[in-house]
Amino acid sequence: MNDRNRLFLTGLWLIVTLELRQRVRGVSWYVLLGVFMLLVGIVTFLLWLATSAWLSGGGGVFSTIIFFVLLLGTLVSPALSGNAINGDRDAGTLATTQVTLISTGQLVLGKFLAAWITALAFLAAALPFLMFAVVLGEVSLGTISVSVLVLAAELGVIAAVGVGLSGILNRPLFSIVLTYLLVAALSLGTLIAFALLGTATQQEATSVNYQVVESTYDEQTGKQSDIVCSTAQTSTYNVPRFDYFWWILAANPYVVVADAAPGSFDEGGRPTDLFGQIAVGVRSAQAAPELYTEYDGCEEAANGYADQQFDGPTPQETYDGAVPSWFIGFFIHLLLGAGALTWAWRRTRTPATHLPAGSRIA
Amino acid sequence: MGVRILVTTLSDSAAVTPSGIAVTGVSRSFGSVLALLDATLTVPAGSVTALIGPNGSGKTTLLLMLATLLTPDTGTIRINGHDPVTEPERVRAVMGWMPDTLGSWPSLSARAALQTTGRMYRMTGAQSAVRATELIALTDLGDFADRPSRVLSRGQKQRLSLARALVHSPGVLLLDEPASGLDPAARASLRQLLRRLAGEGTAVLVSSHVLAELDEMADAAVYLADGRTASPEQVAAAGASARAWRIRSLDESALERALATPGVVGALVQVLGVDQLGTLVQVENEASAAALLHNLVLSGVPVCDFGPAVGNLEHTFLDLTRDRPARHSSVVVNPEVTP
Repeated sequence: MNDRNRLFLTGLWLIVTLELRQRVRGVSWYVLLGVFMLLVGIVTFLLWLATSAWLSGGGGVFSTIIFFVLLLGTLVSPALSGNAINGDRDAGTLATTQVTLISTGQLVLGKFLAAWITALAFLAAALPFLMFAVVLGEVSLGTISVSVLVLAAELGVIAAVGVGLSGILNRPLFSIVLTYLLVAALSLGTLIAFALLGTATQQEATSVNYQVVESTYDEQTGKQSDIVCSTAQTSTYNVPRFDYFWWILAANPYVVVADAAPGSFDEGGRPTDLFGQIAVGVRSAQAAPELYTEYDGCEEAANGYADQQFDGPTPQETYDGAVPSWFIGFFIHLLLGAGALTWAWRRTRTPATHLPAGSRIA
Repeated sequence: MGVRILVTTLSDSAAVTPSGIAVTGVSRSFGSVLALLDATLTVPAGSVTALIGPNGSGKTTLLLMLATLLTPDTGTIRINGHDPVTEPERVRAVMGWMPDTLGSWPSLSARAALQTTGRMYRMTGAQSAVRATELIALTDLGDFADRPSRVLSRGQKQRLSLARALVHSPGVLLLDEPASGLDPAARASLRQLLRRLAGEGTAVLVSSHVLAELDEMADAAVYLADGRTASPEQVAAAGASARAWRIRSLDESALERALATPGVVGALVQVLGVDQLGTLVQVENEASAAALLHNLVLSGVPVCDFGPAVGNLEHTFLDLTRDRPARHSSVVVNPEVTP
């Protein structure tokens, strides 16, 4: 490591520690973490009961705790990071830092890292419960590592967006609210958009039915003979085209975490954790609905019902047959975080050539 | 004063003799609002210069540009030979800035804040701890040094702000209203401190509204009005214009009689009236003031106080701003004005 990098990292770490000392305000912060741990504890216990985890393994518990940490992180992180830069400007401590040898890059990155570390504290507080879930068994190493890493990265994205917006907008309240709105748009907005767009673009599907009108049933063989078949009965109905819009869900942070985790299924091909259930749901939306179906009841009756294969694909087959989408959403998120930080860096750079209306530099 | 901290990565090529502040033809506008039109000034190393101007005249804008926070639209600035726009890092290494806003990290103690600032100037932990202790003693913050800075009073915060500007022993010091909120004792020690820093070769630029204060510590003054610095000719003319002098005598009636006597009061002197502090006379220049004092003493008046009623800086300031066209003062807005 050369001298320049060492100086950069020293200054960066100085900003991180300063931020942590400033924002992590003693007692109240630990009370918040304590309440969080209590909540996770209660959730873990209830999940343990609800999923019969002592029989089925800890997959359900583990995945739900991960989502719970993501939920809490998205609720707390914007408040802690959304005024990192403009709050300092209001307090008059931004300019006094900028006249020192701390560069704007160190300042913005340091604030981002501090916000990220703060959010990761929630993950750390949930670790005992995650370990408990792992001890319950049936949680693969792949699921543990991928979901924890992707969760940590998603918390980083929220921290980056919060710090970025605090550098782009002048008023702390605005940037905090906008961070919340952005998080809500990704978490809930994608679901709403997916559901609305899918149902709004309905298409007409046709189904043709042939039914048995009359037949003779042989009780010995269980077969029907002398079947009189009905004429074709055509009915039409509307189906939503979710397959056009499945990609919207890829931008949802919960979907990213769920889809990224390697799928874990039982012998019957059913998902064993919440990640799998969500991933199967999202991936099944990729399949286009069948717009023309034909059902021949007469032929079925003639062949006998006993040996018919009526089941569709198992959830695992659906999962394996579709395209994983998490890295698209993940990439969009990383781009969003990096973009926000870059923009904030440009806006905070000194000497400033441009001052937005009504802003103060000191 | 403490050790001059060498900023190792920057000092190697900065072996230029400190030349202080040089500002030439600097202008700056915010949208349609002109904050500075044409500012020209120099602050040589080893001197204290006062920056004087009415509210909204562009003082803070000028200081922000000197402090590498704002780029000028036109004109050039040199801080010890370095351009704040193209080499802000070199300027920052030698420049200390005390802003007009009191900003401090609320949960940090004064000592921790000073140490952190020292680390921001790339001092080691040990160096910044030593420096923080020095500065706490220097600014008389000892009793409050280890309490969180949110409990400090305005004057104490002001002293902390000054200490922070001095952390890296800057060769150029920019102070925006440093005396506001200070008690008389702290003002006196600020004055002494600035004189001593100037004696050690620091170039000091102080903006203040307390002109009498500046009178006692400034070697020179720069007058800023409507974004322009007054030319030396204007300053000389304003300084030399007629002004009020105050006379106090042990025997007020004797003074009154003497002033009424023809011949004592010269043609260039006009009696303005009497107030609680003494008698005010309008004197055209210092020569006629000297002649008046001479005559009063000869007439046997026991004069115990004889001097200008307002300080030099205030007199010049008032004279320069007296005939300002009103249209300017209404549109000049500082960046410090927030909605």
